[in-house]
Amino acid sequence: MSVRGPDFGSKPDGWLSGTGRADRIILLLIVYLMLTGCGGALHRQWAQAGADLPARCQLDSAPFYPQKTFQCGPATLAMALSWSGISADPDTLAPEVFTASRKGSLQSAMIGSARRHGRVAYPVSGPETLLAEVCAGHPVIVLQNLGLSWYPVWHYAVLVGYDAHEGIVILHSGVIPYKRVSVKVFEKTWARSDHWGLLVLAPARLPATATEDAYVSAVLGLEKAGQWQAAAEGYKNALTRWPDSLAAHMGLGNSYDALGDIGSAEAAFRVATHRFPAQGSTFNNLAHVLWKQGKQQAALDAARRAVELGGSLVNIYRKTLEEIQAGADEERPCR
Amino acid sequence: MSMLRQTVKPVSVVVIISMLFVVIPYQSCLAALIGTETVIETARGHQAREQVKQILNREEIQEALRAQGVSAQEAKARVDALSDAEAVRLMEKLDQLPAGGDGLGVVIGAALVVFIVLLITDILGYTDVFTFVKKRHVR
Repeated sequence: MSVRGPDFGSKPDGWLSGTGRADRIILLLIVYLMLTGCGGALHRQWAQAGADLPARCQLDSAPFYPQKTFQCGPATLAMALSWSGISADPDTLAPEVFTASRKGSLQSAMIGSARRHGRVAYPVSGPETLLAEVCAGHPVIVLQNLGLSWYPVWHYAVLVGYDAHEGIVILHSGVIPYKRVSVKVFEKTWARSDHWGLLVLAPARLPATATEDAYVSAVLGLEKAGQWQAAAEGYKNALTRWPDSLAAHMGLGNSYDALGDIGSAEAAFRVATHRFPAQGSTFNNLAHVLWKQGKQQAALDAARRAVELGGSLVNIYRKTLEEIQAGADEERPCR
Repeated sequence: MSMLRQTVKPVSVVVIISMLFVVIPYQSCLAALIGTETVIETARGHQAREQVKQILNREEIQEALRAQGVSAQEAKARVDALSDAEAVRLMEKLDQLPAGGDGLGVVIGAALVVFIVLLITDILGYTDVFTFVKKRHVR
């Protein structure tokens, strides 16, 4: 049995039959332009993206795990985690990321799982960052829609290289390692996920295209996952690139505090107060860790300084000061 | 109904007291370290507020503000009243506008910026310029 679609041309009363030849040519021209018009723009976009990069990059250090049915999420995550130095295989990762009812893995689950293994999950987007990261030796998990926008077939793959001369990208995809896919096809499938990509990096490694806010936020994710050791390393790493990041200084102190390393926390907050003498939050946190060590006078001084500096969080600083004053009377440190 | 109330009353008293027992020991520790997330959000909010205020400083914007009967000083005060998250959202909305001069006239662009600033502060209850923004009226 053959399924017949509407056959416009053969019907004498078809919608094209009444139109003249010139109209038909114009129509065909419009269709042709619609089909090819985007192609040129696309190539320009990718060519521009690779302008400052080598014509070809390929990573050989990323291991490959073939995926089982619907298990591209766990497989790609296992590849990224293994590459970053954590032994992981798709089967053990599956319960963390695979959602049976959706026959797939949500992006948030992929991010969460990477964090639970003490790895910085750094989202990337767009051809430029993608190519720059892979050239810096970082495999990138990409989300593609291999179907149509209204009939999606979502698929994760790991980008491990590209060749601008041949116009291809190289993916660990499905059951095929180093699969060569034309940039045109890849761009179309990747664009449907809004160019979603994910780096999974050890906290000691910065993304090549990292920006301060995005990276510090990614490290904050490690705090949320309770990975304080990794978070501390991430913040330390962030400070090597952005020594003036208030959030990284504070995060470092907070992470040490959570680890129970109060001495290091004090050192971190002290550096923060020197770098940001106008920020009450640095003095507030310094006061807390001083107080925890029983250094009452120093704690009081720092808390007073925080209240003096004021700002939008001044109510919390006041509370800190009251608490330390009350505690000093009772000779009992809080906690 | 009154019987229900009579039984509920002692129960709620017990619940309140037991809740206090839970809360009081930790009360003194409620003033905590400023979390990293708060630091990040505060910084973002601060940055967004500064950006919006810089936009409000532009001459054509001040013109458009006057047309709405709002002084620049007042507009800035309203932006200051926004929470960090709200300020970030406002700046995002302004960012999505087509860039000035991109086909869109300067005057229309300025009017649009002012419209969005006032609309958002309106929705959040800081201003009351637009009648189509529904508000719960306290009577």
